[in-house]
Parts: sequence; C-alpha cells; structure tokens
Amino acid sequence: MTTASGSPARELLPTATPARTRAAVRELLRPHRALAAGGAVVMVAATTVGLLTQPLLGHIVDLVTERRPAGALTLPVVLLVLVAVAQGVATAFGMSLVSRLGETVLAELRERFVERALSLPLERLERAGSGDLNSRVTRDVSRVAEAVRTALPELVRSGLSIVLTLAALAVLDWRFLLAALLALPLQAHTARWYVRNATPLYAKERIATGAQQQQLLDTIGGAATVRAYRAEAGHTERVTERSRAAVDLTLRGVQLVLRFYSRLHVAEYTGLAAVLVTGFLLVRGGSASIGTATAAALYFHSLFGPVNTALVLLDDAQSATAALARLVGVVDEPAPAAADDARPQDVPGVPAVTVEGVGHAYVPGRPVLSDVDLVLRPKEKVALVGASGAGKTTLAKIVVGIHRPSSGRVEVGGGRPAETGRTVALVTQEVHVFSGPLADDLRLARPDATDEELREALERVGALGWAQALPEGLDTVVGDGGHRLTADRSQQLALARLVLADPPVAVLDEATAEAGSSGAGRLEEAAERALEGRTALVVAHRLSQAAAADRVVVMEEGRIAESGTHDELRAAGGPYAALWQAWAEHRSTPRP
Amino acid sequence: MGAVLGAGHQFGEALVPVIIGIVIDRAVSDGDGRALFGWLAVLAVVYVGLSLSFRFGARAGERAAEQAAHDLRITLVRRVLDPGGGAERGHLPGELANIATEDAKRVGAVNMAVMTGISALTGLLVSAVALLRISVPLGLVVLLGTPVLLWLGHLLSKPLERRSEAEQEGAAYASGIAADLVAGLRVLKGIGAQAAAVERYRRTSRASLAATVRAARAEAWQSGVVLTLTGVFIALVALIGGRLAAAGDITLGQLVSAVGLALFLLGPLEVFAWVNAEFAQGRASAGRIAAVLAAEPDVLPGERALPEPVLGGLRLRGVTLGALREADLDVRPGELLGVASTDPAAAQALLACLGRTADPEAGVVELDGVPLPELDPARLRTAVLVAAHDADLFEGTLADNLGGAGDTDRALAAACADEVARALPQGTATEVTEGGRSLSGGQRQRVALARALVADRPVLVVHDPTTAVDAVTEARIAGGLREHRLGRTTLLVTNSPALLSVADRVVLLDGGRVAADGAHGDLVHGDPTYRTAVLA
Repeated sequence: MTTASGSPARELLPTATPARTRAAVRELLRPHRALAAGGAVVMVAATTVGLLTQPLLGHIVDLVTERRPAGALTLPVVLLVLVAVAQGVATAFGMSLVSRLGETVLAELRERFVERALSLPLERLERAGSGDLNSRVTRDVSRVAEAVRTALPELVRSGLSIVLTLAALAVLDWRFLLAALLALPLQAHTARWYVRNATPLYAKERIATGAQQQQLLDTIGGAATVRAYRAEAGHTERVTERSRAAVDLTLRGVQLVLRFYSRLHVAEYTGLAAVLVTGFLLVRGGSASIGTATAAALYFHSLFGPVNTALVLLDDAQSATAALARLVGVVDEPAPAAADDARPQDVPGVPAVTVEGVGHAYVPGRPVLSDVDLVLRPKEKVALVGASGAGKTTLAKIVVGIHRPSSGRVEVGGGRPAETGRTVALVTQEVHVFSGPLADDLRLARPDATDEELREALERVGALGWAQALPEGLDTVVGDGGHRLTADRSQQLALARLVLADPPVAVLDEATAEAGSSGAGRLEEAAERALEGRTALVVAHRLSQAAAADRVVVMEEGRIAESGTHDELRAAGGPYAALWQAWAEHRSTPRP
Repeated sequence: MGAVLGAGHQFGEALVPVIIGIVIDRAVSDGDGRALFGWLAVLAVVYVGLSLSFRFGARAGERAAEQAAHDLRITLVRRVLDPGGGAERGHLPGELANIATEDAKRVGAVNMAVMTGISALTGLLVSAVALLRISVPLGLVVLLGTPVLLWLGHLLSKPLERRSEAEQEGAAYASGIAADLVAGLRVLKGIGAQAAAVERYRRTSRASLAATVRAARAEAWQSGVVLTLTGVFIALVALIGGRLAAAGDITLGQLVSAVGLALFLLGPLEVFAWVNAEFAQGRASAGRIAAVLAAEPDVLPGERALPEPVLGGLRLRGVTLGALREADLDVRPGELLGVASTDPAAAQALLACLGRTADPEAGVVELDGVPLPELDPARLRTAVLVAAHDADLFEGTLADNLGGAGDTDRALAAACADEVARALPQGTATEVTEGGRSLSGGQRQRVALARALVADRPVLVVHDPTTAVDAVTEARIAGGLREHRLGRTTLLVTNSPALLSVADRVVLLDGGRVAADGAHGDLVHGDPTYRTAVLA
C-alpha cells in the first residue's frame, strides 16, 4: 500500500448533530415502547408512594400537638412501614425495567455501530486514523453504557421525585409551592452557567483522554519492540505526559462542578428559608397546622437530594450525549454507495477485469498512476511487478474498488467494482488473525462452512497439518489473546479464508511477503492453489511468482512499462530483464 | 484533609434538620418573628460552612482519586514494558489499555469513596449525638439500628460484587472483540466478511447484554431492599419519638428534628450503600490490575554485568526451545552470519533465545562467554538487538521512530530508507500515524531496518528485513547492511538469497539444529536441502 504521496491529513469520522442524536435515540426506543411505558408507570407509582412518608410524619406531629394518647401513633407508624415496603419493591421493579430498557437500547446501538463501522469505506478509515474508530468503539461505548447503567435510572428517579414533591407541596398549600419555586431561577441560572462552561472543557478533556488511549494502545501494542529497543523510559514518559494532561483537565472539570455545587447551596438556602417563613406566616394566620408546616419543611428538605442528583447528572448526561453523538455520527455514515453502477455481484461465471485509461492521485498534482490500460481475461493470472512506489498497490486497490480512480474506468465483469470482497477479494501482506477459535476465524469467510469444508480449505493451502496439530485442533483459540501463529501460518490462514470465500476474482498484494523469506516458497504454492480457477492480479516482489504467472506487467512510476509472458520479457531486454537478473544473481543455479 | 472537610460538610448537613426543628419549635409554633429571623441567620452561617467545606473536601478527594488512577496507569505500563515481559500474555492490547484506563479509574475512585464514607459516618455520628441529646433511648435506637442496617446492606452487596465482576469481564470481552474486528477491518473487507463479523459481534454483544441485565436487576433489588429497610427504620424512630413527645419527655420541635434527622440519615446510609458498591467494583478492578502486575515474567533477570567491551561472540550449546532441538552454533565476534531455516518456527525460537524473550528449555546461550540467563534482559538488550520481522513503528515523526541518537543519515542510506524519507512531504520530520500505517509495507520495513542500524548495538540480529521490497532495492540493502555493520556481529535470519549471499558464512537450521555450514554459493550448489529452502 503506497501512500507515499504525503502524510494523510486527519479527517475524523463525523459527529451527529444534537437533533439527529435525539432522533436516533427515539428510533431505537420505538420498538420498546411497552417496556418504556411499564417502567415509567411503576416508577411514578414508587415515587408517589414514597411521598406519603412526609404527610404521615406531619400527621404524627399533629397527633402529638393535639395531645392524643400514644396508642393513636400506631396506625401512622404501621402505614409508614407499609409505605417503606411498597416503595422498596416498586422502586426495585421499576429500576430493573428502566435498566433493561436502557441496556437493550444500548446493545442495539453498539451493534449498529459495529455494523456500520465495518462497512465504512477503507479510504475513509485511513483518513480518520484507526484510533478514532477504536476510541469510539471502546471509550464512547463505555461512556454511554455507564450513563445508561447509573445516570439513567437515577435521573428517572430524581426527576419524578422533584415533580411529584413539588406537586405534593402544592397539595399542602399552593403558597408553599411558590416559596419553594423561589429557588428555581437560581438553579436554572446556575445550570445554564455550568453547561456553558462545561461544554468546551469536556471537549478538551475528551480529546486529551483520546490521546491517552491512543498512546496506551501504541505503547502496549508495540511492547515487544519497545523492549527490544530499550525505549521503555521514553514510552513511559509519553504515557505519563498524556495521562497527566488528561488528569489535569479532569480535575479542572471537578473544580467547575464544585463551584456549581456552591451556587446550588445558595439556591437551597433561599428556598428553605422561604418555605420556613411561609410556614411561619401560614400557621400564624391560622391557615395551616403545625403538622402541615412540618411536612412542607420536610418535603423541601427531602428535595435537596434529588435536585442535586439531577443537576449533577447533567454532567454525565453531557459527556454521554457527546459520546452518543460520536456513535450516531458513525451509525449515520451513508452506506458505501454501490448501487450507482451495475453491481458486479450479479455477474455469472468468472468475469474479466478491464482497466481503461486509469489515472490516480492521492494529493492533487502528485499523480501515482497515469494512463493505465490493462485487461485480465477470465481465469488469467497476471503478475504486477516493479520497484517500490511504482503504483502497484494503488492499482490493486483501484481494481478491488477501495479507491475510485481520479480518471479512467475500471470494470469487473461489466460493472464498477464495489468494495464488497464477494466478487473481487483482496489479500494483502497485512495479516490479522481474529481472536477466538481457529474455526471461527475461518468461518468469517463462509459462515455456514462445515468442518469438512474448513479442513479442505486448509488442506488446499497446505495448512491442515499444523492446524490439526494445534493443542485443540481447529478449536484452538488463536489471535491476540490466544495461541500466537507465526506470520506465514497467519498468511496461510488468510489464503484459506480466500478459498472459503471463493470469489471469482482475487487480488493478492504481496500476500506472500509478510510471511518472511523462509515460508515464502510454501506460501507461493499455497497462493497458487488458492487462485486456481480465478481471475487473479498478483502484486509480486518475488519474481518466482511472476515467472509462474500467465502474464507479467511491469510498472514504472505509475505507468505500465511493459507487458508479456515471463519468457517474452526476459528476452526483450527491458526493465523486467534487468529485474530478473538482479533477482537471479544470488541464485547461483538459475531457474529453468 | 479531604475527609476532615467532607466531615465538616456532613456536620453542616446534619445540623440543617436540627435547625428546621428549632425553627418549628421556637418560631412557627410560638409565632415569634424575631426567633424566626435569628435562626434563619444561624442556618445561613451553617450553609456557608457546609458549602465551603464540601467544595474543598471534594476537591481533595477527587484529586486523590485521579492521582491514584494515574499512578496505577503508569505502574501498569511499567509492568507491561518490563524487560522480563509476560504481562501481555492472554490479553488483547485493547483490553490492557482498558485496564489501564477504566479499571485504574475505578480503583482510584475508591479513594473518593473512602472519603465520602468517612464524611457520611461523621454525618451519622453528629445526628446520633443530636438525637442522644434529644433523648437517650432515641439516640440508642439510631446508634444500634444503623450498624444492623449497614451489615444487612453489606450482606446484600456480596452477590452484586460477583455479578459486577462477571458483567465487567463480559463487557471487556465484548469491547475486545469489537476492537479486534475493527483492527482486522482491512482483512475482513478483503474477503467480504463484514456481514459474518457483524453477526459474530451481535452474538457477543447479546451475551454481554444478558449478563448486564442480570447485574442491573440485582443492583435494583439491592437498592430496593435498602430503601425498605431505611423506611422501616424511620418509622421506628417516629414511633419512639412520637411516644416520647406524647409523654412530654421531648418537645414538639425535638420530635421534628428527630424525624428530620432520621430522614437525613437516608443520605449517609445510601452513601454507605454506594460506597459498598464502589468498593465491590473497585475490588474487581483491582483484581484485574493485580493479575497483570503479578503476571509471571517470561524471563528472570540475572545479576552478572555485561563483559566490557562487548566483543559480540555468541555460542549456543544443546539449545532446545520450541522447534530448536539441541542446537549448537558459534558466531565469531564481528562476523556477518546468515541463518537460513527450513522451519520458520526454528528461526523464531532462535530469535527468542538471542533477545531473551524466552529462555531455552535446555542448553546454554552465551554472549562472550557469559550465559544469557545470568544477565539482566534490559542490560543484554543494550548489547544485543533482535530486530523482529513484525516490529512496530510508533506514532511520531520518522526521526522520532529512528531514535535519533546515532548516525541516522548513514543508517537511512544503508537501509535504502533515505528514498522513503525523500518521498515524504516533510522528510524525516513527517508524522507517522500509529503503527506506521501511513507508510507502505516496503517503506515501513526499510524505516524499521534503519532504526535497527541507528541503535548501533554490538550484536544485531535482523529477521527478514526485505520481504516487502523489490529485488533491486533488496540487493542494495544487502550491500548497505554489510557495509554498515562491518566488523560487528550481525546475524541475518532469512531465506532470502540476496541477503545470504553477502554473509561471511551461512548456516542452515533443519530439524531443529544446524544442518549445514558454509558459504552461500557453496551451499546452493552442494546442499539440496539448502537449495530448496532458499531458492524455492
């Protein structure tokens, strides 16, 4: 993959607008309306029942004031106990409903996210950097999850408590409500002040934690290299720096929150004093009993908790909303447009590949390919050779459909190649073994493959022997967390996947390179067998691969320099003959 | 200090209901306006106090929490990078990064939880004292009742802890799978396997959802039970207080204070429940961190110092590891030795021994006569560099990646990486994205080789440095390598004839031991196994 044309300017994946985020949440909630309604009803009931506590306590005060016998207290106390039990049960039930709703919606969101992330065009991902997607798939998902897990149930509970407590105050006497609402403008103002200051600060914090995550992945993922080069100190320092930056910003956020609380305390005091003065005036005026005044004061006092909780959750809600917007931004990325041309998927048989007048530039004015014409007949195997940076990989990517050429036309079986891999598969030198059982890894290519088919595919690329010799055979857990496979085995696995996916056209980009030299011969054979019966374009550095191809195409500086069979080109005395000589020089017994 | 200030805050919070009671008693029920404003002024003072102590107390607590998380993160990274290795075994990089962020944060949060717990305890004690002053029996009920409540709460959080652990592991696994799929995205797309991958992720996500819902349900029921217990407790306080007031033992205002205090107690008690849950999660996270920190290292450090100066002679006797079977090998100081191999695993095992990422099961490896296990691996690596085939580049400029200290221009030229630098817009000052992915495979390989040359170790072992470069460039690199490393021990572990042909001497690993030894040209003619291995 040659992107020698320049350092790619980072262009992060999109973030959804607030309106779009809300709409996306509504869409996700729609199928669960019944659950949502059930949860709401139960939570309202739980809160309402809980609000009976204060009037009951007020009633006890009144009973005492009226000098009733002690036995009269039994009834309200028993009622208090019943209220406690009912509130506990209803709250537990309601909270589990709310959690289930939140978690289910969350799971759907993250699945949609992964689904869309995996269908993003590679070109787009390369521009965004893999860290962007990675931090969304880990940190943003967990931030939203955290909010759903803790903030959502609390927010529901607190919100209901506030509304219903205020209603209860009004039921006691509307003037109590007025007094309590005195605190409202102060709280509203404080909340606005907070959100205004918090938004930019949290944005900075997220960037800092993203950088920290990126550094951790870079350092931990490359730990073996770090150790080999004794670069531990430097890397530890880089992690420390980024962690420190993130911590500093977090603490600045904390300071902001605390100033926010101080202001809330002012509002709290104002409201409480107002309610007490109101109680004083009402009792003196004879329009309320001492018990009522007591209940009102207790109500207002019991509002502190939920109000603070709700306002504080603004915080979590804020950061969760930002994370959510980043997730929805990816979910909303348009699916790769494949429908504008005839879909090559529908082509029967083994198609031809036509490249006509193709030119390409990653950066305008720095062409990587110019004026390339190339036709691959059905089942023809063409090797693409040339020095590094000659544009081989770019051409391969264009044939596969990863890049759309800046000019010219590419057709596979009469249609523009879509980046689907079903018609045109691409195997590159980038090996990745998916963590999990080996059989699962293979079945990614063909989910309904039988064990027998898996074994056949492995056999065809010469991998069956070692695969069956693994500790648990095909069930051995491989990949990052499990059994590490050597590079050439990983590459054999990639070829086995190709066999299972069974596309009519295959492009191999140095697919035998990453394996290292000692396995290359074996891999070439494996590749050969994996390509049988397909139209194939093979980007090759090892000229033995070129010698075995039906035709060799030599590229120089983005153009096709020559094209013909191995023997024709060797005899022609052009660039290929020179390459072949350099290659064969060290092989004292030249190949026939 | 955070705890003291936090305690001050709770002290204030506990006084608020007491003052409400006094206001009801002295002002509302007696209709005394002056008392009303006097006590409202007192209330204002209490508010100022509690507000300030909260602000500074919480700040101290959060700072302690963040600092602890930061320290843990760095300790973890140190352990992962420890020359002995072994910490990554069994973990995805994404999972380890997650442990270093999320789990460290949870453990750090325990600090805050302790502080909050202490202040809640203060609030509880202040209420108790106030209650005792109102009435001894009432105070006793609170003092004896709360520990029972706490104990019950603790009992209930036990199963939660287990679930929380399972849930977090499930979530970590799900996010590990997602990150793994995203990392292999190019491979998935290459064979059109996105749909299958999405299907697989959906299954993982569903399993994780089921675990999470179970944990959430447990949590909901736990808080429901705590709520009920607390409500019953308040009813009890009201019953006793009411009877006392009815009997005239306490005043009406004291009854209101008592009830207000009992309601206020909900706060500290819920805080205890939260602290408990926080501890539970913190313990689970601490367990995961401890497991990484305590991971058995791959190799143990020895005590011996490196020979001074390092001449670079290597000697292997009877080395058995992986595919190596009682292998013997001698490398003279300053020699350029090619190592070809019929089995990649044998080459891999040889690299592991020389770089001490693993010690042989049997036999010895010596550097200038010193057995490697007697050396600290960190010290060894200042003398021996094993440049792995799949070595990673890092985020930063090209120059950062090269390490900068040595003669970078010469190394770049030797590795034919000078033309890579020239092709980049800002030369060696160009930023390389993570993993060097903004470079092509061939470019990456040449930069990595240049980095190995810049490091300038007495012994350099390079593994397949030219697999992704074309034949002409490969021949130039072979020459450049030879010239750059002239007179210093260098092992070329490769089957590439272009590289092997510049070596002073070549050995062939076959059947786990050295099966052939000689010049490349002679072996190509004289040894059919060698010919097959390198020319196939």
